[in-house]
Order: sequence, then structure tokens, then C-alpha cells
Amino acid sequence: MIRSARRPAFAAVAAFLLSMVSWVWGCSRGDTQAALAEDAREPTLELLFTYGSEKQSWIDQSTKSFNDQRRRSGSGKLIRVRPVPMGSGESIDELLAGRTQAHLTSPASSAFIKLGNAESRAKTGRDLVGPTQNLVLSPVVIAMWKPMAEALGWGQRSIGWAEVVDLARRPDGWASRQHPEWGRFRFGHTHPRASNSGLIALLAETYAGAGKIGGLTLDDVRRPETMRFVEGVEQSIVHYGSSTGFFGRRMFANGPSYLSAAVLYENMVIESYDPKNRLPFPLVAVYPREGTFWSDHPVGIVEREWVTPEHRAAAQEYISFLLARPQQERAITFGFRPADPGVQLAAPLDAAHGVDPREPQTTLEVPEPTIVNAVLDLWQQVKRNARVVLAVDVSGSMNEQNKIGAARDGAQSFVSALGDRDEIALLTFNSKVAWALPQTAVAPARQRLLGLIGGLFADGGTALYDAVRDAHASFTKSPEPSRIAAIVVLSDGADRDSTVTLDALLKQIRFDSEGRSVRVFTIGYGSDARAQELQAIAEATQGRYYEGKPENIREVFKEISTFF
Amino acid sequence: MPRDQPGLTLIGKLTVAAVLAASAYGAWYYFRGHAAPGNAVNSAVTSGRAAGGDRSTTTIGVAYGTEKQRWLESAVEQFSKTPAGNNIHVELIPMGSIEAAQALVRGDERIHAWSPASALYKESFVTEWTLKHNKSPILREDTLALTPMVFVMWDERYQAFVKKFPNVTFRTIGLALDEKSGWSGIAGRSEWGLFKFGHTHPNQSNSGLMTLVLMAFDFQRKCRDLQMKDIVDEGFQDWMRGIERGVTGLSNSTGNMMREMVLKGPSSFDALFVYESVAVDYLKNAEGRWGRLRIVYPDLNMWNDNPFYVLDAPWSSDEQRKAAGTFLDFLMTEPIQKQSLVHGFRPGNPLVSIKATDSPFVQFGSFGLRVDLTTTCETPRAEVISNLLGSWQRANNR
Repeated sequence: MIRSARRPAFAAVAAFLLSMVSWVWGCSRGDTQAALAEDAREPTLELLFTYGSEKQSWIDQSTKSFNDQRRRSGSGKLIRVRPVPMGSGESIDELLAGRTQAHLTSPASSAFIKLGNAESRAKTGRDLVGPTQNLVLSPVVIAMWKPMAEALGWGQRSIGWAEVVDLARRPDGWASRQHPEWGRFRFGHTHPRASNSGLIALLAETYAGAGKIGGLTLDDVRRPETMRFVEGVEQSIVHYGSSTGFFGRRMFANGPSYLSAAVLYENMVIESYDPKNRLPFPLVAVYPREGTFWSDHPVGIVEREWVTPEHRAAAQEYISFLLARPQQERAITFGFRPADPGVQLAAPLDAAHGVDPREPQTTLEVPEPTIVNAVLDLWQQVKRNARVVLAVDVSGSMNEQNKIGAARDGAQSFVSALGDRDEIALLTFNSKVAWALPQTAVAPARQRLLGLIGGLFADGGTALYDAVRDAHASFTKSPEPSRIAAIVVLSDGADRDSTVTLDALLKQIRFDSEGRSVRVFTIGYGSDARAQELQAIAEATQGRYYEGKPENIREVFKEISTFF
Repeated sequence: MPRDQPGLTLIGKLTVAAVLAASAYGAWYYFRGHAAPGNAVNSAVTSGRAAGGDRSTTTIGVAYGTEKQRWLESAVEQFSKTPAGNNIHVELIPMGSIEAAQALVRGDERIHAWSPASALYKESFVTEWTLKHNKSPILREDTLALTPMVFVMWDERYQAFVKKFPNVTFRTIGLALDEKSGWSGIAGRSEWGLFKFGHTHPNQSNSGLMTLVLMAFDFQRKCRDLQMKDIVDEGFQDWMRGIERGVTGLSNSTGNMMREMVLKGPSSFDALFVYESVAVDYLKNAEGRWGRLRIVYPDLNMWNDNPFYVLDAPWSSDEQRKAAGTFLDFLMTEPIQKQSLVHGFRPGNPLVSIKATDSPFVQFGSFGLRVDLTTTCETPRAEVISNLLGSWQRANNR
């Protein structure tokens, strides 16, 4: 999917957001269903509401308040709203296909509604979603540690994308700003094909490289100087990823040695001030001088036959509830700007929480889709390439519930998603560790690798720690700092056969702030997986732990692929 | 007609034909001193169903332009608390004028009454409806309120703008849009980015079409007798294309564009061309967020008359027709008309003065608001407007 570079930008975003939330959806749905059981005794009108997961905390609280009021429809049925967090693109795709029969929907950006309606009109002659209203707003910002932002002049003057991305390109990093003690300028943004904020960051880099603030042309994008500029920035990227929220929370947890700055939503800067984060320094929002973009969270009623007049009236009532003053004021406490212009902006939307409600002063011009696609093609050419070891558990327990079959399928989708210039090795482990394929460039080995994965079968014990140790050692033997180094390991049970202990392994692989680290992404596969140990391995390396099962393993692998 | 004249759809032709009657009617109506046309203004209590009678609720859908959103939403809430409105549920359906006309002709059974921004679309709607149903769709109508067009700009940027350009007109807006370095070249403020100007989509919104007509008058420096040659004039075409290349937004809703300007501040728009009422309605909200707004009247202007039509649709029951009439009566009552004033409209009910001390037209003078317009223009002939819209569509591929 990553390789299909000519898909429309937001369609690509839509496809990738699938992986980000599907497993969360499963959990959330279960909880909600349990709550709904209380009302099973009386006639109920259920409203299914799919929405962008960025605003989950606010929607959860507000919907609970709405449901607690036990409102009734025109025919006397109890109205229950069932909110389902979902990637914005995914929610539109699901509606278009009729798979998820939501009654109302709210993606993160109105661009998704426009695309969905255009596609629906082309196919059926009518819109997919009716007129919309914004629920809340949040601008895209560069989140930066306050002392670092001040070193760039924050508080005294406005800072631009050009300055930040130029600093990211410089090998001497912070030394060029009289702060050699801070080392390299570590910059991060999400995957531009998977995440809205990543795409925005990439467009901003391209504008900066072209020396423009509007009117970007294909010639600008294809000019060698633009390409060199974007390449310089992208080579400094720590890693990519599909979730802006995850990126931000990693930054809060790991401090300035992990990232100097990242492209996030403004509400995440405010979230960083939650005392539980215990930050080394405050984070502040830089509103780039050249402009940024807004996430505007439109909500609308779905125009499909499963939405009856009674659903419509109830949905309108729920929308009015979300737009009413108490809910809009509550949105502020979650760091969002209310969409009701009558609600005054108040704390925490203030300088004490690193943000400035009088910003941004301008927005960047969104280029035509052909130019956006050219920018994405450019990114594919100049992005920081990855070097990955894929370590797959082939112990006997993988035979249960067809775990091995689904794992093969997921691993193959992962390999398909890697770029041609990435490198990969395949390592399998049961009682012993075996290199099925040594490190090699993806492009020439892709088909062979897919075949190897397709032929994996399960047998024997589990030497998980030895496998991670060996995979890690392969990086330290021949380091290649220009690449994102990562191990992706899938395991379904307890380690019984390793020669190395977990403690010894963790010491060996722990994150190195000088940037020579190998991140380990662990997947606890099935109900017998040892989540605690796998989580410890991921956290020691600033990677990420995932819960996998045969039903979602493909999505988990896809999401991991967005880190590269 | 020259061979290279742009074409227009049937509804487009019918639509622009109606502009003749609409704007002329608005001007005539306003200047004759607000004498209420059509039915008498009755109280909601006397014309509606008796309070305490039938307890079943009658639901009516009212399609309306979002420029009236705040006023109508507030009115609906108050209506529900009156004896007449107690058993009537009013569902407001925001829709662009053309969108609503097309929905009705298609048979959108949610709509029992319609209040577009102006009568611009009435004639085309009536013609298409009559072809289908062999009778007029309008059972009853009245003018709710009047409003002209204005430029609205962030005051800080307005002050910087008029230091470079003598005043705010379509000509100077065009020059600002043409400035490649944006605000850096206009006022040395690179952090303000490019100059951003917006108006609604001329083929989807009444205010967008008004914008094009007033641009044509501005360019030709006249206020009447706009001719075909003025529209096909190469200089005008180039100038209009130049401005429209820089225009952003192009929403189908004036209210939504203004709301976006207030919510997203100058990052979204430096200036918009909108209804006066919409600008007034958001003056205070804007001040609490991004700072003061400035209203500037174009030298040449036109009226929008906000009609309300009770529809004689086959899907409307007698109860719904009656309920729509009751709601119209309520909207024309003095208290609700006075509230229209609060939302920036010039009331359709002549008993409500816009010069009272609590009128925004008196209170907000410092924002640039004023009672009298310099010149209101004569509505061009239908074929002139038709070609203006057609040439815009062709030039902008929209």
C-alpha cells in the first residue's frame, strides 16, 4: 500500500488509519455493549456514531452525560448513542461500503467528508454525509521543549518551518545555535501516507524547500534543490508512525534526548501539562510563521437508507447536545478549541500550557491533489530508509487456532508495505534461532521473502530472548546509522528455551540517547503471550508493544510498517 | 449573442432571470418604508392552533440559508414555548438556496417551508415545480428581513491594508491578492502570510452570485445598465480571473464562512464579502477571540430580502401547512423581528426601527456599521447575469 504512490493523498490516509484503531475499537465496543445491556429491557433507539479517535476522551465523557439523561425519541424509545473511535478515512470507507451502518460520523478533517461525498455522488448521485458542523478545532503545531524553542527565539519572534527543518538537516545540530550540549536536533513527524499531521509536515517541508508560502507547482516539487532539502530533513527523522497521539506521548515520556521537536496537534501540547507526565521541561507550541493547517472535526448525519427519520431527529439532538455550551466548555479542558464562537477561550488554552489562542496567524495553501501526490512520491524517494529484522515465533503453540496462518498473512502484508530501498532480514525462533534470510534490500528479495514466510510452519519450544539478542547483535556488528533500525518480533508464549535472561537482554538492548539504538516492536500474539515481558522489551528500546490475535494481526503489522 | 459566449444550465438561466425581480423588489420594499407586503402580520397566538387543544405534535421542516441560523434557532426555541408553538415541532434544515430549490423539485419530503437569502431563486423554482405539479408551490410568503453586502476584515489587518491602499474595494482586494509575497509586500508583515479573501460559491450561494454582479459594477464603474459587452470585455474577464484565482473557501454557506473566519481567525481569512447581517452577528464573538472586525461597505451595493415561503407541497398535510403559517406569523411578530435586529438584519416588520439606541446599527458604529448605503445598484438583465455566472464557471472550472 505504501508503494502505491499515486493514490490520492487522503485516500491513502484513509487506508492506513485502518490499522491505528481497529483493535482499540474491538475493546471499546465490548465495554459499550456491556453498558447497553442495562437498557436491554426497554425499547431502545441506538445511534451508532463513528468519530476520529483524536477526540476520544471528550466524546466518551460527553456521550456518557447524554446517555445518562435517558432522552427519548419521538416514539418514546430510549435514545442510546454508541460512539466508536475510528480512523477518519476508515470511517468514510466503512460507510461507503455499507459495512458500518453508522447514523452520524465525525472525522478529524472536513477533507474526509468532501472526499466521501464526491465518491458517493459519483457512484449513487447523492451525498454520503449531510451538512456538517464543526465540533471542536485544533491547529497543527511544532511541539518543542521550551528551552530549545527559546534558543530559536520563541517568545521574541515568530519561528518558521524553514528554520526548524533547516536545523533538523544540519549535522552539527544544536551546536549551530550555541548549544552543542544538546547534540543533534531530533525531529519527528508521523507517516505522511498514514496520518494527517505527517502529510502536513511534509507539505510544509516542501514549501520551505521551494522557498514559497503558496502556489506550489510540480516544477517546484521536482526541482533538485527541493528534493535535497526535503531529503536533509527526512534523514533526521527518528521514525515515522501512524498515530500523532502515540508520537506525542512518546515525546512526553522520553524527553529531549528522544525528540527535540515533533509535529503534533495543539491539544497534545496542552495534554503534556498533565502532572502525570512529569516532563523534564515544559513543551510549547510553535505556530510556524509560514502557516499551518486546522483539524476541524466536522459532524454530520449519514445520508443512507438505514438512517430513519427517527434516527435523524435523535442524531440532531445528540449533535445539538455536543454543541451546547457545557460540552463545548468541557472540550476546552481537553485542550480543544470550541466550535461555538460564543464560548470564550479559557485555560488551559493559554500561555501557561504552552499555547497561544491568538495563533496561528496564517495557514498554508493546500496544493492540488496532483501536487500532493507528487510530494508523496518525492517523500518515497528521499525518506529515511529502514533496516528491519522480522523475528517470528514458530513454536508448536502457534498451531493452535490457526495462529501461524494468520501470522504468515500479517507478516506478508508487512513485507509488502516496506519500501523498495528498505532492508529486511527474516529470523524464526522456536527452541532455536534460525536466520531464514540474512539482511538484504527489499526490492530484489521481496518475492522470495513472501515465499519464505508463506512456508513457515510451527513446531518446538520458544527462545524469544535469544532471538531478540541475536537480531540486536546483527545491528551492532554492522551499524548503519543512516537507516531507522528496528526489530519486529511476534511471540505467542513464555520463553522456555533461551540462554540469556530477560534482565541481561534488557541491559544489552536498552535505548542509547546518542541515537545508535535499535527499536524493538513487540507483538504479544494470542491469549498466552507474555505481555509484561514483551512490553518491557519494547519500552527498553523506545519501541512499542501491541496485542495481536489472528483477527487483527494483519492490521497490527500494517500499523508497525508506518514507523518506517 | 457572440459564438464564444459561455453557456449555462436551465436552472442557472431560470435562476438568474429571477435576480431581476428579487433585488429590485428588495430595494423597492425597503425604501417604501417597510410596509408589510402579502398577508397581515398576525400574532402567533391568534393564528395558531388553540393552546391546550389537540396534544399531538405537528412537525414541520424549514429549509433555510445559514446566514439566518442564529436568529432562527433562537426563534424556534422561543416558538416552542408559546401556546401556538406548543404542539408544533420546527426542524431547521440548513441548505444553500439552489440546493434547497433542487431538493424541493426532487421531492424532499422533509421540507414544508423555505426561507432562502433572497427571492433570487423563486422564479426558477416556481417554474420547475409548476412543470411537475401544475400549480404554484407557494401558499403564502412574506419578507423576513433585509440586508446588503459588506466586506468584513480583521481590524488590525484593515489598518495595515489602508496604509498601502486607499480603501477596500474589489480593485484593491485584487491588487492585494496579486501580491506574490502576500502581507510581506503589503505591510511588511511576513508572519501574516498570503492575503486571503473569500466569498461563497456563485453557483451555490446567493451571496456568491451577488459578489460577481458587484464586481462587474465596480470594474465598469457604473451602477446601472450593465451590458453584455461589459461582461465579455477582455479587461474585465482578465481582472475577474485574477481575483478569483486568489479566492479561497468558496463554501455554499455565507454563515459557515463567517463562522470559520471567527473560529480560525486571520489564519483562515483576512477578509470576506458577506451579508451585513452575518458580519454583525459575529462582531462580538470575534472580539472575544481574535480581535476586532471591521465592516466596509462597497460603494455600489445590492439588497437581499430573505423571503419565507409556506409551501403547498403534496407531502404537506393541512396541519403542516397551517403550522408553517403559524411559525411565519411568529417570526413576523415585533419581539422576534427585534431579535433579527440583534442578529444584524434590517427587520421586515416596519414597526421595528433600526435607529433605536439598542440597535446594533447604532451601537456598532465604531466597527464601521452604518444605516444608510451610498448607492444601491440596479439589477442587471437576466442574460447579463447568466453570462457573468457562465464566464466565472468557465474561467474557474468550478
